[in-house]
Amino acid sequence: MFDILAYPLANLMLLLYNYLGHSTVLAIAVLTLLINLITLPLTLSQQRSAHRMQELQPELEKLQKKYAKDKERLAQEQMKLYKEVGINPMGGCLPLLIQMPIWFGLIGAIRYCIPSTPLELFQFSNHIYKWLPGVIGLVPLRSTFLGMDLGAPPNPAQWWSYALPILVFVTTWAQQKLLTPPTAAKTQSQAGAMNQQMQIMMPLLFMFFTLSYATGLSVYFVLSSAIRVGQFYLMREGQHRQKAEDKEQVRPKPSE
Amino acid sequence: MSWMGLTIVEEGLVAADLQQVRLLNVSDAAPLWSFPTDPQKARVGTFYVTPAVDEQRVVVASQVPPTGFLGQPKNVVWALDRKTGNELWQFDDAAGQYVEGGALGGGLFVIGNSDHNVYALDAETGALRWTFKTGYRVWATPLIVSDTVYIGSMDHHLYALRLSDGGVRWDFQAGGAFAATPALRNGTLYIGAFDDKLYAIDAQAGTERWRFASANWFWGSPLVYADTVYAVDVSGNVYAVNAETGAPVWPQPRPLETPVRAGPVLTEDGSRLFVGGQNGTLYALDTKDAFVVWSSESEGQVLSPPVVSGSVVYESRIPGTYRIRALYVDNGRPIWSYPPVAEQPSK
Repeated sequence: MFDILAYPLANLMLLLYNYLGHSTVLAIAVLTLLINLITLPLTLSQQRSAHRMQELQPELEKLQKKYAKDKERLAQEQMKLYKEVGINPMGGCLPLLIQMPIWFGLIGAIRYCIPSTPLELFQFSNHIYKWLPGVIGLVPLRSTFLGMDLGAPPNPAQWWSYALPILVFVTTWAQQKLLTPPTAAKTQSQAGAMNQQMQIMMPLLFMFFTLSYATGLSVYFVLSSAIRVGQFYLMREGQHRQKAEDKEQVRPKPSE
Repeated sequence: MSWMGLTIVEEGLVAADLQQVRLLNVSDAAPLWSFPTDPQKARVGTFYVTPAVDEQRVVVASQVPPTGFLGQPKNVVWALDRKTGNELWQFDDAAGQYVEGGALGGGLFVIGNSDHNVYALDAETGALRWTFKTGYRVWATPLIVSDTVYIGSMDHHLYALRLSDGGVRWDFQAGGAFAATPALRNGTLYIGAFDDKLYAIDAQAGTERWRFASANWFWGSPLVYADTVYAVDVSGNVYAVNAETGAPVWPQPRPLETPVRAGPVLTEDGSRLFVGGQNGTLYALDTKDAFVVWSSESEGQVLSPPVVSGSVVYESRIPGTYRIRALYVDNGRPIWSYPPVAEQPSK
């Protein structure tokens, strides 16, 4: 289903591998970075929406206390508040939905370039763009990195390969933590409890996924989460700086 | 896991048919023995790869699914008694999966593994005699000729190893991975690689005699008959090349318009060539002019090479209602299909 994106991305990865000293990790890293750059407007919109929701939490908590016994009224007041500050509570979902096929395509591309099964390799064999310079004979990519086979799942013979799924857990958790409103998690509401669960469930899910798939995918997940965490910090810093500047401009000057 | 495999022997057809290893009667597909007898109870995994057979034994590989929270699949080589199907020994030291089968010769069973190693086991006991580490995965079946093992690796090298201790006699480097078994004739090895080339290599010195450029990778093994090398690339182009010079024999390759994983097989008189496609079709070509004499389509994909015995060709397919079919070489008329309807899982 996502092969329509996976094949071009896999060929791009071959090209990068060819020009980056035949390093599979570098090719995955640069490809992940490129995809993040392309989807930057979408991720920024998603992260801004999450950040604004975080800022709105004190107000939302006040409403929750005030209308604790009247759920219908609470929902109405919450919607009113969102409207006043210009937030669409579902605004973070749409960019995420648009990005999902791209990420699945990228996962497919990594699996085609460093396949763990012969059937994956055979499937890709008729989708290599032979006109690209230097790609003939590259597949399957040499996938040894720090003594690990990036094309194989973590295994006891390479015990240190389990570090990658753990890193996947840590970085995904950090990403979830930043993108989830912290105060919401503390509340006793159903949404708060769900948020709290998601903060642990998502990283666990990703970790188990990477335990049974090629470790090359772990490299992608770690880099991707790290980039998003970095993006979030940069965006938040930018917003704080902007607010400080706005306050500075509004404050009356002593001479006036 | 890869694809199932077939080997023809005097007393029948040996099939590693995913669920079991079976010796089937060639006339009606009746099982003469099965291992394990009850696949539901025995925890032996999924059997695949082409069985290696000698006078006493049948050797296959399986992958046993992981148990427990952080369990790993176990990759096992099984040696079975050729007459009874009883287990003789098993070997489960390899860390990776076996994608292709091994070869028996000189009292050893030699097989490549995804953990980059070539393993040589004592054919009698299954004891490890030697290992040879290549630079990448070994997804090819070796060829054993007297005291030499020829085996290709995904590290782009074809190795000639001493059968006695695994020492390197020579290695030949191509521009892509090797996943095929070389064919040998008059001191020359013929093998295709993932760099879209078919190579003729001096079997003694390991030097290149000629190379033939194709449209895509060669994954299946070529075969040689008289002065002609037959090979199929993964795009489904069938080539006939002069064994001495590397010049094309047919004016144009025959395109089958389906991806092809396995190499071709020939009838004993060399008149007819059989190729299985991913589209589930078995093609019979006239070797004189590459004309498709007949083709037979069924469910699933034909990913392993068919086998020919006398007037019958046997093909295996995954997935599909029938995993093995026997057809007449002359007209492609089906003789039998396996498993019989009674053994098929209800839909």
